[in-house]
Amino acid sequence: MPNIREIRERIASIQQILKITNAMYLISSSKLKKARTALDSTEPYFYKLQETIESVLEHTPHTRQLFFDRRSDIPDEKRKKGYIIITADKGLCGSYNHNILKYAEQTIAEAPDIDNCYLFVIGQVGRMYFQRRMNEGNAAVDGEFLYTTQNPTLYRAREIAERVIDKFEKHELDEVYVLYTDMVTSNLQETRTVRLLPFERRHFGKAPDGTMKKLPKAAFLPSPEKVMEYLIPNYAKGIIYGAMVEAFCCEQHSRMTAMDAATNSAKDMIKDLSLMYNRARQAAITQEITEVCGGAASLND
Amino acid sequence: MAKTFYLEIIATDRVFFKGDVEHLVITAIDGLLGILPGHEPLVTSLPTGELKYMVDGEWRYAAISEGFIQIMPDRAVILADSCELPEEIDIKRAEEARERAEEQLRQKQSIREYYETQAALNRAMNRLKISQKHFK
Repeated sequence: MPNIREIRERIASIQQILKITNAMYLISSSKLKKARTALDSTEPYFYKLQETIESVLEHTPHTRQLFFDRRSDIPDEKRKKGYIIITADKGLCGSYNHNILKYAEQTIAEAPDIDNCYLFVIGQVGRMYFQRRMNEGNAAVDGEFLYTTQNPTLYRAREIAERVIDKFEKHELDEVYVLYTDMVTSNLQETRTVRLLPFERRHFGKAPDGTMKKLPKAAFLPSPEKVMEYLIPNYAKGIIYGAMVEAFCCEQHSRMTAMDAATNSAKDMIKDLSLMYNRARQAAITQEITEVCGGAASLND
Repeated sequence: MAKTFYLEIIATDRVFFKGDVEHLVITAIDGLLGILPGHEPLVTSLPTGELKYMVDGEWRYAAISEGFIQIMPDRAVILADSCELPEEIDIKRAEEARERAEEQLRQKQSIREYYETQAALNRAMNRLKISQKHFK
């Protein structure tokens, strides 16, 4: 029979933890609400941006623009690949961090040469993780790239976009990808990769039979190059911002579920332990009574 | 009933406007640009500036910061960082932003910082200008 005092201490400590997990649950649920509204109000912009850019590109005459330059003269193993990975700042959010980190590892492992991979990690957990791995000979992490995932702002997204575009222009990077967690539905999260640069011309006006569709060409003011020069960074910023908002929303959601589960299991444990405690107490009382009775009986003899 | 086209103005934080308009005037890189229904397809970027559009014969104004516009004969889409009505502008905040930017411009800065502050100053000035012009 376990000691009564031991059980009591255990219950007290679980109660303390329960208070913490419960508080974290409440905090993350209110943060989630905020993140959700941010997500809802950004989503129209995010989707419209992609849609519009796509349709703009269909009407764009072919331009020799830097952001479209695939740099195909560089062989695959020499291409410098940049990965923007969005993780959480803190742990205690279930498998959220684990999933995105594992996914990132897999993606990076596919690259032909690990020495040409550069990681730009948003969020403390991911940064620590990859820095540790870097010492073991993994891909290099940009140490100056310090951004938080908390409350994504457009301003931060702009800074990040400018930074990567700057590196792309200087040929320090040939390809840039964004790795983040996407909120498909409120219960389904999916890790995802989006290619940021160079800019891809998908469905470039190709009809199913392979001939070029004749799309009406739009006019550009003052010139296609000038407009693209502005449009692409803006697009990159939009994509990064959207990814950050999605990831933040996912993080809060994971934390909320994780903390809810923790609170529930703490409650279950307390229930079991108090049952055990009562039993132990009852046993002790019974024993005492038997002892007293035994003592009294022996006195009478 | 005047001829109209469908206009969508979408800012990063909300859908600002959706509906039929008769006339749209934007500030493009090299000056004002008026758009009527049936305009030729056109794409251009919008610097921080003023925007006005006519709904039912009435002009409406808005302050817009950096974006771009795609125009088709029957519709137009504006995507911008932010878009506000004159009465929504927080004068105090814009005032503060202007002072902060001016203060920063007096310091020694890197070229990038300089551009950033200048853009911030531009946004603040634009907000102040439009709010003074249309909303007293």
